[in-house]
Amino acid sequence: MFKELDPILHSQLRLAIISLLVSVKEAEFTYLKEETGASAGNISVQIQKLKEADYIDIEKKFKDNYPLTICKITPKGISAFEDYVKILKQYINTKK
Amino acid sequence: MENTNLEATESMDIINKMINNAKSKLADDGFLLIFWGWNVIAAALIHYATLKLHIQHGEYVWAILMPLGGIISAVYGFKQGKKVKVKTYVGTYLGYLWGAFGIGMVLTLVCMPQYGIKVTYFMLMILYGVATFVCGGILNFKPLIIGSLLSFACAFLSNFCGEVDQLLIISIALLCSYVIPGHLLRSKFKSQQHV
Repeated sequence: MFKELDPILHSQLRLAIISLLVSVKEAEFTYLKEETGASAGNISVQIQKLKEADYIDIEKKFKDNYPLTICKITPKGISAFEDYVKILKQYINTKK
Repeated sequence: MENTNLEATESMDIINKMINNAKSKLADDGFLLIFWGWNVIAAALIHYATLKLHIQHGEYVWAILMPLGGIISAVYGFKQGKKVKVKTYVGTYLGYLWGAFGIGMVLTLVCMPQYGIKVTYFMLMILYGVATFVCGGILNFKPLIIGSLLSFACAFLSNFCGEVDQLLIISIALLCSYVIPGHLLRSKFKSQQHV
């Protein structure tokens, strides 16, 4: 019996964002935009959803008078990502 | 990239691609290795020439070039810090490594009158070796590790020669552990920027 994949992470863009954040200490919004190739509006919506699930922290500040958004994965986000990968491997192994 | 639902294999592909993207970005462009390598080599060779030519106060070259190097490094670090969009764990570890190296250097130089020039030069080469060995390990960059081993070898050999010739050995140690790996690291960094 398979566990269900976390619906918060099981979407292309949110999974890409979490995968990037799990590999770094913290990242600016523009870095996420460059690496995923998604639009700013789409990323804004998705990071908000990740924040509501307590998977990431968002810090807003200013750099040279421009707004700056910094994202960082939380321990809950790391744990959710690890669980997601574990279940994903089970799915893939069964399909082989 | 759109926000759509996924097949299991697609999910795994995204995870692998994003983690590799984040990991493959080199945290060091090699500039400071090259800069400090040439800066110290210049100071050592000028000092060596003044001693050979019996010109007095050649040691002042260190007092001029080292603080100047410190100021240029600080300005470079400040400008680079403004450009950075992502903080990596590798970058953090390198920061701690070079911070500890800097403290070690200052303490070694401050204690120079007590231990003498010969021991100080030996210690400097050991410090270059330790810093570049760890840096090479963190960045998984073999030329730095090989360079660091050559710096340790130079430190050992320097025990068998005089203080004046030690300046030449320091130059060789820096060429092997800083300058050559620094240039190789920089070319690798630049090739990544064009991918």
